[in-house]
Amino acid sequence: MKQLVKYFLKRVLLYFLIFVISLSAFFFFINLVPGDPVTRYVQQLEQRYGISTPLTEEIVRKYKEAFGLDKDLFTRYILYIRRLVFEFDFGPSFVAFPKPAYSLIVDALPWSIGLLGTAVLTSWILGIFIGTVIGWKRESKVSNFVLICGLVASQIPSYLLALILVMVFSFGLGLFPMGGAYSAALKPGFSFSFISSLIYHAFLPSMSLILIYVFGVMISQRALVINLLGEDFLKLAEAKGLDKKRLIKRYILRNTLLPQATGLAMSLGFIVNGFFLIEWIFNYPGIGRLFMMAIREMDYNVLMGITVTTMFCVLTANLIIEFLYPLIDPRIRRG
Amino acid sequence: MKALKNSPKFLTGLIIITCLIVLALMEPYINDYRLKGHSPTEIGLYDIFLEPSWEHPLGTDSYGRDVLALLLNGLKYSLFIGFTAGGLATIIAVFLASLAGYKGGKIEAFITVLSNSILIIPSWPILAIIVLFVKKIDLFTLSVILAFFSWAGPSRQIKPQISSLKARPYVDLARVNNFSDLEIMFKEILPNFLPYILVGFSVAVTGSIMAETALRIVGLGPGDIPSLGQVINWAIYSGAMAIGQYLVILIPITFLILIFVSLNLINVGMDEILNPKLKQITGM
Repeated sequence: MKQLVKYFLKRVLLYFLIFVISLSAFFFFINLVPGDPVTRYVQQLEQRYGISTPLTEEIVRKYKEAFGLDKDLFTRYILYIRRLVFEFDFGPSFVAFPKPAYSLIVDALPWSIGLLGTAVLTSWILGIFIGTVIGWKRESKVSNFVLICGLVASQIPSYLLALILVMVFSFGLGLFPMGGAYSAALKPGFSFSFISSLIYHAFLPSMSLILIYVFGVMISQRALVINLLGEDFLKLAEAKGLDKKRLIKRYILRNTLLPQATGLAMSLGFIVNGFFLIEWIFNYPGIGRLFMMAIREMDYNVLMGITVTTMFCVLTANLIIEFLYPLIDPRIRRG
Repeated sequence: MKALKNSPKFLTGLIIITCLIVLALMEPYINDYRLKGHSPTEIGLYDIFLEPSWEHPLGTDSYGRDVLALLLNGLKYSLFIGFTAGGLATIIAVFLASLAGYKGGKIEAFITVLSNSILIIPSWPILAIIVLFVKKIDLFTLSVILAFFSWAGPSRQIKPQISSLKARPYVDLARVNNFSDLEIMFKEILPNFLPYILVGFSVAVTGSIMAETALRIVGLGPGDIPSLGQVINWAIYSGAMAIGQYLVILIPITFLILIFVSLNLINVGMDEILNPKLKQITGM
């Protein structure tokens, strides 16, 4: 028990450390880059509407004051952290003023987490399953063929697959909707038509993740299984005459689950990167699309807010996975 | 080296990437000849949306540019950015990994946390914000920014190798002979893990091109550098999908996928040769 508490404490500590380091690094990085958001924003407005006033500098100064950008870097850092930690506030949004950036993000977040969570879990489980099978039957021709397909498919960036899918199935064949999360004619609720519309709209976006990530998990699972097959304890189990099902379930799967969980944790950030573009391509109302809208409008607070939120979500997901380790592996439980 | 010749995966990867590089290197001559000295990005050079023909094998786009010329031009820029950023990232990775592996202790712990943070955290939004707010961005600045975010991958490949190399006898021998830390790092250790650096390099190139393409597809970054991502962006915003001009999008995507797949095949092939045990077990 003591070991377990120690393990959890260590994880939580590391979690906060990484969060604080990345948050600070991110803040200083953004603020030290030459060029500031307000000037760029006003410049963009001038360009777009073809105006230029002698008041520009005055406007920039006023805006900077309003957003607290006129203070020195360190004060701004303290203010930002304080507002974030104590009020959970990212400041007002430029475009949806006076709506706070926070409320825009909170509205969009469930869509992203729902779609991403489903897609990642599905592909993780499916990948482990297929990987175990082709690892177990590694000599068969089918296994080798699947492996070669996997070597190619796992290297395709998810956003490129999303483009191909939307082009072929939405624009070309007209089988799937071009975007959105549900049919505009329906009211959100727990009705059959709404839920089926939800799934129908989420199918292509999630497929563009699943079709790639499944193969990534599959390849690593195959290697893990094949590595295990040479181990003595498996030979003993086989010699004892244990039936195959039990062997795979108790001896092989259990031993591959831990490295696979780590793999999932390590690749989450990368998956989320691609997911931003998938949402943009499918016009899915999550934070990825919000981010793109904020980019177009140079909405500084929303951009910062989304980045911090995704950081927070991914790190928390990592922490949860690490909290599950002791369940998977008794060695951690007993220290 | 001999073993590499017998690895079909390594060879396939090498052949594909070499073809792409040669194509990119020939681009100025091909386009010069085909467009008679005009730039591939020059607007209104031909009629818009011409069907594929002998003169324009892939047709023209909504700005009246030859699509084939744009693609070759884009390939050149994508590869150039990828290799520059990937090279820089590898240098950073080798330096930090050597420092961590050789010094150990707190320095190693810090570098490990740093590289893990970059790997765990979704870095694309950060990259996008930086590119958005930097005033003027050129080819080199872009590569440096990309490198800054893609050194963690190769570092993870390289670091364990350094740690294991450090414990080998010839390093002790060098130390007894009063070699300095730097000398040991660069004269003794570095040559021995060159293959791992190569693996790290191709990981970094892949990462950089992926990130760059993702930026350009949504319209971020320098518009005067027409890499493949930019070509796709033009196609999307000119409505190529709606009017059924699929090739304009599909071919740059194919080029990009070929780059990623060939680099990965090289890595898988090298991995098998570097760890013969793996090949024995997996029988691939």
